[in-house]
Amino acid sequence: MSDSIDRETFDHLVGLAALELDQQQADYLLRELNNQLKAIRELVAIPLDESVPASLHGVPFAPTESPALREDIWLPHQDPGEIIAQAPNTREGYIVVPDIPHTTLE
Amino acid sequence: MSDYEVVIGLETHIQLNTTTKIFCACKADSWFDPPNTNICPVCTGMPGVLPVLNKAAVEKAVVLAAAMHAELRPLSFFDRKNYFYPDLPKGYQISQYDQSLAFGGYLDLPVPAANGQPAYIRKVTIHKLHLEEDAGKTKNAGSERLIDFNRCGVPLVEMVTGPDLRSADEAAQYLIRLRQLLRWLGVSEADMEKGHLRCDANVSIRPRGATYLNPKTEIKNVNSIEAVRTAIEKELERQIREVEAGRRIEAWTLEWDEDAGVLRKMRSKETEADYRYFREPDLLPIRLEEAWKIEILKSLPELPLIRRQRFMDAYGLPEYDADILTTERNLSDYFETAVKAYGGDPKRVSNYLMNDVLRMLNEGGQTADQLRLTPAFLAEIIKLADAGTVNTSTAKTLLQKVEESGTAPAEIVAAEGLGKVSDDSAIRAVVLEVLAESPKEVESYKAGKVTLIGWFVGQVMKKMRGKADPTLARTILEELLA
Amino acid sequence: MELCDLPAYELSLLLRQKQISAEEITRACLERVDQVDGRSGALDSGELTAEDEHKVHAFITVTRERALNQARVVDKRLAAGEDPGLLAGIPFTSKDIFCVRGTPSTAASRILANYTAPYTATPVARMEEAGAVMIGKVNLDEFTYGSSNESSAFQPAPRNPWNPAHVPGGSSGGSVASVAAGEAALSLGTDTAGSIRQPAAFCGVVGVKPTYGRVSRYGLIAFGSSLDCPGPVARNVVDAALMLQVIAGADRRDSTAANKPVPDYLSMLEQPVKGLRVGLSPDYFRIAFPDAASGEYRERPLPTDIEAHVIKAAEVLASLGAEIVEDVPMPNTRYGIPAYFVISRVEAASNLHRYDGVKYGYRTPQPPGDLTQLYRKSRNEGFGLQPKLRILMGMYVSAAQYSAQYYQRALRVRTLMRRDFEQAFDKNGKYRLDVLLTPTTPTTAFKMGAVYGDSVLMQYADQLTVPANHAGIPGISLPGGLDENRMPVGIQLLGPDFSEDMLLRVGRAYELATETEDWRKIKPMVLR
Repeated sequence: MSDSIDRETFDHLVGLAALELDQQQADYLLRELNNQLKAIRELVAIPLDESVPASLHGVPFAPTESPALREDIWLPHQDPGEIIAQAPNTREGYIVVPDIPHTTLE
Repeated sequence: MSDYEVVIGLETHIQLNTTTKIFCACKADSWFDPPNTNICPVCTGMPGVLPVLNKAAVEKAVVLAAAMHAELRPLSFFDRKNYFYPDLPKGYQISQYDQSLAFGGYLDLPVPAANGQPAYIRKVTIHKLHLEEDAGKTKNAGSERLIDFNRCGVPLVEMVTGPDLRSADEAAQYLIRLRQLLRWLGVSEADMEKGHLRCDANVSIRPRGATYLNPKTEIKNVNSIEAVRTAIEKELERQIREVEAGRRIEAWTLEWDEDAGVLRKMRSKETEADYRYFREPDLLPIRLEEAWKIEILKSLPELPLIRRQRFMDAYGLPEYDADILTTERNLSDYFETAVKAYGGDPKRVSNYLMNDVLRMLNEGGQTADQLRLTPAFLAEIIKLADAGTVNTSTAKTLLQKVEESGTAPAEIVAAEGLGKVSDDSAIRAVVLEVLAESPKEVESYKAGKVTLIGWFVGQVMKKMRGKADPTLARTILEELLA
Repeated sequence: MELCDLPAYELSLLLRQKQISAEEITRACLERVDQVDGRSGALDSGELTAEDEHKVHAFITVTRERALNQARVVDKRLAAGEDPGLLAGIPFTSKDIFCVRGTPSTAASRILANYTAPYTATPVARMEEAGAVMIGKVNLDEFTYGSSNESSAFQPAPRNPWNPAHVPGGSSGGSVASVAAGEAALSLGTDTAGSIRQPAAFCGVVGVKPTYGRVSRYGLIAFGSSLDCPGPVARNVVDAALMLQVIAGADRRDSTAANKPVPDYLSMLEQPVKGLRVGLSPDYFRIAFPDAASGEYRERPLPTDIEAHVIKAAEVLASLGAEIVEDVPMPNTRYGIPAYFVISRVEAASNLHRYDGVKYGYRTPQPPGDLTQLYRKSRNEGFGLQPKLRILMGMYVSAAQYSAQYYQRALRVRTLMRRDFEQAFDKNGKYRLDVLLTPTTPTTAFKMGAVYGDSVLMQYADQLTVPANHAGIPGISLPGGLDENRMPVGIQLLGPDFSEDMLLRVGRAYELATETEDWRKIKPMVLR
């Protein structure tokens, strides 16, 4: 297992996260990440046998306490226009973004 | 081509025909809606919203899984598939990853005879079947993309086949059979043009006889069965060209441009993916309790390919008939009900259906269950014809009359006097009339032109509006002309 | 005493007796805001002034007109003889992590600064349906990521009313500061690792983290979706119970809101505590934290002052007839923070994916070349450092190749923490606790700037509160006295799933028993 995040891995993470950092930010974040990893490392040493399953939630949600699934009944939202009004750029009801580049195969 | 074996796997996305979306109460179908009007905070990923699972989506997926002979998990989980794309408002898709609703399964695909090859069955295995939400739509507009969220959150079943298909034709056949099954089960409209059924094809080639798998390309965005066939064929040709030129096939993602008829390579950077799947904390697992499962599967009908075989085995139908009569569930139910009501040779019912009823359906744009000509009425008409009560042409006219009026065939026959006339004296009177009105023809006949007998029979039938027993009319004519 | 300093339950009584009007209460709160709050948090707000350093700065948005209108509706309903609801006329603030239709809902982040919610969060909607009057939306750490409130993009950040040189705690810093300073009687906060209880302890108020699933999360801008709990902040236990009564219960918009009836918290509130079993665990009287330089774990006992206040509280409960059970082992407590570093980051990174400049919120003004540039620039300019840190850590520990060793493992460690509680509360077990009594925080409120920037040390402020979030169980923090610097000390009660009624009952008993103590008479510095 890797003990710390190197610059290359860090840059990869930044790309995956759709971020773009200046040097000062990058230095701070990389240092803090590695400090946090030191704390996280403690997890690796904890003995866990087969009888310890993962808990998605702490509360077990017994079937009787689990909410019923939704019935398939249409309830339109009162004002969809209010939602689209939040978008920074719209045209004729569409949200507008710059293109995603493609290359055509020969 | 013969040096290479083709290996194709299909990833299909099936829109379930529920009333509402999978995680919110917007309606699922927005085909006729302007962009971004069938949306709510949940399906547009507004901050703070939460998904609530549609029960009907689970039920339809369970029916489909059972029909694919897949194994259903009593406890299945939703996961988040994280990636950035403008049609994915939350930045993750709620899907099922390692503990999906169902796994395994297969479809025994009948491949028809073609190019001198006999028909055969291809077993197409299913790796995984899971529930997920659909993304929105994006549309090119010059250097920009336009985004419509109406489709976000439509329930999808993703079904992935093994690398089992061996030609573009088999891939097309698979989609035809899948579409038939989906409609048969009533779980999807399965209209590829409307995107109800979508397909990505993973395509590779290998030397004939090899058992390993070569790198594959993934073809996305193919919107019709014909396009799937064409796109795969194009890609196979390209792969063969590349390999023969000594180049390697790289695992690209390709997008099919329907209008231009070309494949475009998507930038590898965007397709390079670590989706960082993890359990969706906003949803509890699906508990498919035994009682619920049994309740759902009560509605599972006999499957089309099984019924097709049964029609051949039990009713002695030719494969051609059985195939056509099971294209659609209503039609096959209709056939079977009519056969039972009729009680005679099923092939006779099949003939009526294939020749006349199907034409009526096509012309009227109807399905079999919408006909006023019920299976019982059809059986009655065939029986009337068998008993000689009406002749064949009257029987065919009756089909139309029953469909138009919804009245029982026997009633129409009685009311309109369509019964076949076998009374010697009634026919004899008309024959005498015809002979009296046609002195020239009588002369010719007597001069030896005996082929005119058919014309005389026709005249008698015409006067009697088709009701005469033609055999009897002929005997009387021959007697009186002798 | 001014109206804005009265408990909610007294206001409710006066209102129904028609001695006061809802509008008068609301105006009293708005006046208090004018007196003590200073300028509201805003983007690019410039240098701090000398005056800023003495103000509370709880708010991002004061919804003055909206509040007055709501108050007038309550008064009309009262005049018409209608039942205006359990919280009629009671002023509250809402942490600005809750969406409220027609108001800016910012999460204290630049990326949502211009966002106006098109719907209202369930807990807020329930408060308003019960007649409560929302005074405004209060500040928090950006996206709730912090324990001091300093990371807000909306500055000046809230300050501790007991001493404005100190932090109010976080992330519900604006919530507790507004309640402690009498700007509202109640506040709706959220608790993911202690974000209600820790600041409640720092500001000397009551904070309740309900059982996960007791209160709907619909409309709460998500941080760690498997950990987040909305809950009440109040100045006394009765008010907290009133508020919980209103916001708790199943919600058809939240699949994790438990389908379980809500008990009548008020009717059980003043039942005796005689015979109840109250536990103390040595594992809650020390903290373990990694040394920044070496990464080695060091254990350190809590400050004696804090320990003494908890022991004192145990003695108070014992004097009321409760049985004190000592030496309850909670051995996995120390794993709370490491596991939290993993689970919350994975969930947070995913929850923050949606802020991409496409549909709402901030979009870079720079002309974007292509979509990738639009994403990167918008997110870089829109997010502060703390969200970026959480995103990157979440990306790292959930990457396919690391998920098993970090994320999957952390979920299993969560099971261990849950088992500690199950054993302590097991009705047939060795300890059979009704509640576990612990300190809320390892320290009292620290000075502004003292910890901020050190993300590890900051996180360890939650060490004693985060196990309840992992386990899903409820907890309450109560004012337990003042330290030598006259800063509040919090004591925490933890109980089994859905035992909020028990926690409130024990809390109320403690509150009544200490009602006349001297420290209860001391007011926060900004009100002196």
